[in-house]
Amino acid sequence: MTHQKQRLELFIERLAAKRAGRILEEAGLTGYTMLPTMAGYGGETRWQRDIDISATREMVVIISIGDEDVMEKALEQLGNLLGSHIGVLSVSTVTVLRPGRF
Amino acid sequence: MGLELALSTILSPMVLFFILGLMAALMRSQMSVPQAFAKGLAIYLMMAIGLKGGVEMSKATLTPDVLGIFGVAIILSFLLPFLAYMCLRVASGLSRVDAAATAGHYGSISIVTFVAATEALKMSGIVADGYMVAVAAVMETPAIISALYLANRGMAKGGEIAGAERGELMREVFLNASVVVLVGGLLIGWLTGESGMEKVSPFFVDPFQGVLCLFLLDMGLSAGRGLRQGWRDLDFGSISFGIYMPLISATITGLICLGLNVSTGNAALLITLAASASYIAVPAAMRLALPKAEPSIYLTLSLGVTFPFNLTIGIPLYILIAQFVTS
Repeated sequence: MTHQKQRLELFIERLAAKRAGRILEEAGLTGYTMLPTMAGYGGETRWQRDIDISATREMVVIISIGDEDVMEKALEQLGNLLGSHIGVLSVSTVTVLRPGRF
Repeated sequence: MGLELALSTILSPMVLFFILGLMAALMRSQMSVPQAFAKGLAIYLMMAIGLKGGVEMSKATLTPDVLGIFGVAIILSFLLPFLAYMCLRVASGLSRVDAAATAGHYGSISIVTFVAATEALKMSGIVADGYMVAVAAVMETPAIISALYLANRGMAKGGEIAGAERGELMREVFLNASVVVLVGGLLIGWLTGESGMEKVSPFFVDPFQGVLCLFLLDMGLSAGRGLRQGWRDLDFGSISFGIYMPLISATITGLICLGLNVSTGNAALLITLAASASYIAVPAAMRLALPKAEPSIYLTLSLGVTFPFNLTIGIPLYILIAQFVTS
């Protein structure tokens, strides 16, 4: 027996990651995970974690899964956050085994 | 004397390792130092500097002359961003927020430049007091407040950034790793004195210069890569600012030292601190407080232009200025 949920994937600068985490918590998402990243390219800039002593160009990925209504609430606030901070956000529909976890 | 001093500074292992990293990055070498290791090195260096400074402080007495140096340092950190902002607005095409964020970097300090100057003084046989580490610590943050004032003055208060928490910026400004480790190390060194230092000196004193070489190699790589990628965002006015601003700050501080009862070593370190630019504590604060400011501008200037300039040409020059104003 499987269930449909919304999966959020947010690439955001590390220094703003705590702000994104607070938004997810306040929206009512029951959990999220932050992952480090190694290197990338975007906004005509190449960045690499190991050569950025200030950590201002370092990015993290935040993944969260939840119900659509909770996700909508979070997206509204995340839109505001991404108006100021560097990041890319995507949401997709995923299948989960244990819906009570989300 | 001047040429000898400049050569001995440039030809020290520390500066040569920095140049090696810089050249490797400019020639597109793939070499890199893992981030976690580099952060560990930075913490080690700040602990060692703090401890040594604290031990020296435990032997010193707080005189009005010492307090005068602290006062001048705080005032410089507050006021230099205003001068830097004015220069950037007049001579470069930077926007108000970019100019304010960049100006903040030039009122704050680079602790690695400070360490390099301390080592250059040692090589020249010039003595500086341990409490200058505390002077460095107090110069870290006032410039951030000035930069925020410059960026926000006369502007309508914008909406709050979602997820921002009350006190978040203050925590970043006053409790960032540099301030905590440096001030903590100073206090521990001051409390434990010489006997405490004896117990940890095999770790914090003997390997210090070797670790500094390793750290400066990484700094060279960061500076070279920052310069290679960031120079496109800068016009001639901005790039030249990275050279002339430290010279202006050094000249002003040198003139102030004329009116202070200060030794050559302390004057050289105060001038170096005023002429250095932050690339760790201030960029993080600026990303939180002024996210609209472009990090590639202020980082390229402070790390890619000013830091290499200070390390190779600036420090010998600042020591000469100090010798001149205290002679």
